[in-house]
Amino acid sequence: MAREESKALLDAFNKTTACYHHLVLTVGGSADSQNLREELQKTRQRALELAVTTGARLTVALRDKGLTTEERAEFERLWVAFSGCLDLLEADMQRALALGAAFPLHAPRRPLVRTGVAGSCSGVAARALSARSLRHEAERDFDRADLQELEQEVLQVGKMINEMEMKVNVPRWTVQARQTAGAELLSSASAGASSAVSVPERTGPCDLSKALAATVFSAVLLAAVALALCVAKLS
Amino acid sequence: MAAIAGPGTPGGRLRAQSPHLSKMERVVVSMQDPDQGVRMRSQRLLITVIPHAVTGSDIVEWLAQKFCISEEEALHLGDLLAQHGYIYPLQEPYSLALRPDETPYRFQTPYFWTSTLWPAAELDYAIYLTKKNIRKQGALVEHEKEHYDQLHKKINHTWDLVVMQAREQLRAAKQRRKGDRLVTACQEQTYWLVNRPPIQSSDFYKREIELSRKALGRTRVKSSICLEAYLKFSSQHSLHDPIMSGCLPSNPWITDDDTYWAMNAPMVAVPTKLRVERWAFSFRELLDDPVGRAYFMDFLQKEFSAENLSFWEACEELRFGGQAQIPDLVDAVYQQFLAPGAARWVNIDSRTMERTLEGLCRPHRYVLDDAQLHIYMLMKKDSYPRFLKSDMYKGLLADAVIPLETKRRVFPFMRKPRHSSPSPALLPTSGEPPATGSTAGGDREG
Repeated sequence: MAREESKALLDAFNKTTACYHHLVLTVGGSADSQNLREELQKTRQRALELAVTTGARLTVALRDKGLTTEERAEFERLWVAFSGCLDLLEADMQRALALGAAFPLHAPRRPLVRTGVAGSCSGVAARALSARSLRHEAERDFDRADLQELEQEVLQVGKMINEMEMKVNVPRWTVQARQTAGAELLSSASAGASSAVSVPERTGPCDLSKALAATVFSAVLLAAVALALCVAKLS
Repeated sequence: MAAIAGPGTPGGRLRAQSPHLSKMERVVVSMQDPDQGVRMRSQRLLITVIPHAVTGSDIVEWLAQKFCISEEEALHLGDLLAQHGYIYPLQEPYSLALRPDETPYRFQTPYFWTSTLWPAAELDYAIYLTKKNIRKQGALVEHEKEHYDQLHKKINHTWDLVVMQAREQLRAAKQRRKGDRLVTACQEQTYWLVNRPPIQSSDFYKREIELSRKALGRTRVKSSICLEAYLKFSSQHSLHDPIMSGCLPSNPWITDDDTYWAMNAPMVAVPTKLRVERWAFSFRELLDDPVGRAYFMDFLQKEFSAENLSFWEACEELRFGGQAQIPDLVDAVYQQFLAPGAARWVNIDSRTMERTLEGLCRPHRYVLDDAQLHIYMLMKKDSYPRFLKSDMYKGLLADAVIPLETKRRVFPFMRKPRHSSPSPALLPTSGEPPATGSTAGGDREG
C-alpha cells in the first residue's frame, strides 16, 4: 500500500520536474515573457510541494525497522530515483535563477536571444499542474519579486537535500535498477501505446499504397484487354 | 571536425576562468538588437515556418562591420561562435563550422550556453540519449550507441530515473507546437554535439584521467603553513606600512609635503632606519632595494665573493632583457663567470655546471636558471647572515636617519593642520590629539 502511494507520488514529482525542465529551456529565448515566468513559479511550487510530501513518505518508510529485505530494496530504489530527481530540480532552479537575473523582462532592457521559438508553454505548465488550462494573473513587476522568492527556494531545496541525506543512509551503488538498457523501447503505459500505434501507421500506408497501385494497374490492364477485344470484334 | 580547445577539453575548469565564454555571449546578445543586430529571416519547412534564421554571410558581414575587422577575421570569430555552440547550422547539424554563404543558422537558447550548463552531466546525457532512442526507435548513431552502453554500466543505479525522466520530457514536449518542438530538439542536439563530440569517444575519458592525474600532482601548501607565513609577514611589516602605522615625516597626500618620497627614493645617500631594518627581514628584501644591494656588494667585495652577486645580476639581466641580446649576453656571461680559468669564476657544483654547459649550446632566456638559483641559495645561506652580523650593517643601522615629524602648528585659525597623519586603522584609544587629527583628516579624506 505504502509502496503504491510512494510510487504514485514519485511519478507525479517526476512529471512536474520534466515539465519544469522544459519551461526553463525557454527562459532568455524569444518566447520568454511574464507568462512564462509565472508558469515557472507555479510549476516550481507544485514540484516543491510534491518533493516535500514524497520525501516525508519515503523517509518514514525507510526508517521503519520492520521492513523485509525485499520491501527495503524496493524503497531504496524509489529513494535513489527520488533524490536524483530532486537534484535535477535543484540544478534547474539554479539555472532558472541565473538566467532570470541575466535576462530581465523589464528595465534594464536587454534584448532576448531570438531562438526561433515563438509559441507559449502554457500547455506544458498545465500538464505539470494537472490542470486543463492555465490562467495568467501576474502583475507587471512579477519577475523581479519572483527572482527573490526563487533564491529563497533554491536554498530551501538545498537544505532539504541535506536533511534527507542525514536522516536516511542509502548507498547508491547497492541499488539495482529495474530497467535494463533499451527498456524505454519496450511498450509500457501510454508511451508504449503511442509508439505501438505509430508503428502500424507507418507500415499501413505502405501496404495500402501498394495495394492501391496493384488494383489500379490491374484495372488499367483489364480495360486495355477489353478495348482490344472490342476493337477486334468491331473490325 | 577540428579538435576544439574549449568545452571538450577543460575537464573541470570553472566558469570564472573562462572569460572567453562571457565575451562570446556579449557578442551574441548584441547581435539580438532589433535595430542594429543581424538580419533575421524565416526558415520554411514543408508546412511549418520557423522564424529567426540567419545566413552565414550575414553573420560575417555584421561582425566585420561592428568590430571593424577584416572578413577573414570575422569568419574566424564566427567559426569560434559556432564551435562553442552559440549558433548552429540548420541543414547539416553535425558540422559545427561557419560558412560564409547562404547556409542558415540559428541562435542557441541561453539554457544550453556553455557557461550556464557546465559541466555537462552524465545523467543529463543519459536522459538525452534515452529520449533519442525512443524517438528513433533504437536507431542511434555509432558513437552515441557506445556512449549509451558505457553510461548504462556507469550510472546503472539511476537508470530508472533516466527512463522515467526521458519519457516525461518527451510527453511534456508534445504539448508544444510542432515548430517549437523541432527547434528545442535541435538546440539540445547541438549542445550535446559540442559537449560530447563524436570523434573523441574513447579518448575523452582518457584525457579526463590524464587531467585529474596532473591536478593531483600539483604541489600544494598546507593552509597551516601558508597562514603562519602570512601572520609572520603581517606582524613584521605592520610597523613599516604607511597605512597601518602612519608615515614620517608626513603623508604627502594630506600635507602636500613630499619629503617622505624624497627620503625614500630608490637611490638615496642616507637610507631611513625603517628601510635598513627591512633588509634584515629576508634576503629578497635586501636584493630588491638598490641601496641595500649596493651595500651588500661592498660587503662582498671585502669578503672577496663579489663575483656571486655580479653573476646573479647578469642572470637577471638575461632573464628580463631583450630577445635579440640573448646570444651575446650568454656568451659574455660564459666568458666572464663560467669558463674554466675565467676572471671571475663562480663556484657552482659539478652537476649544475654540466647541465648549464650543455644548455649553452642552445641559448635561451632561462638557460642559466639552475646556476642562478644555486648562487642565490649560496649567498642567502652564507653571505647574507654574515652581512647582518657584520659591523658594516650595524654601522648602517646606527647612521640611518629617522625623519622628524612635521611640527604641528597650533594657530587656532589655521584651517589645514600640518601633522603626520595618523593611521586611519588606529583605534581612537590613544587620547585626544590622534582623535582630533583623525577626524579632521577623515573629513578631508572622506
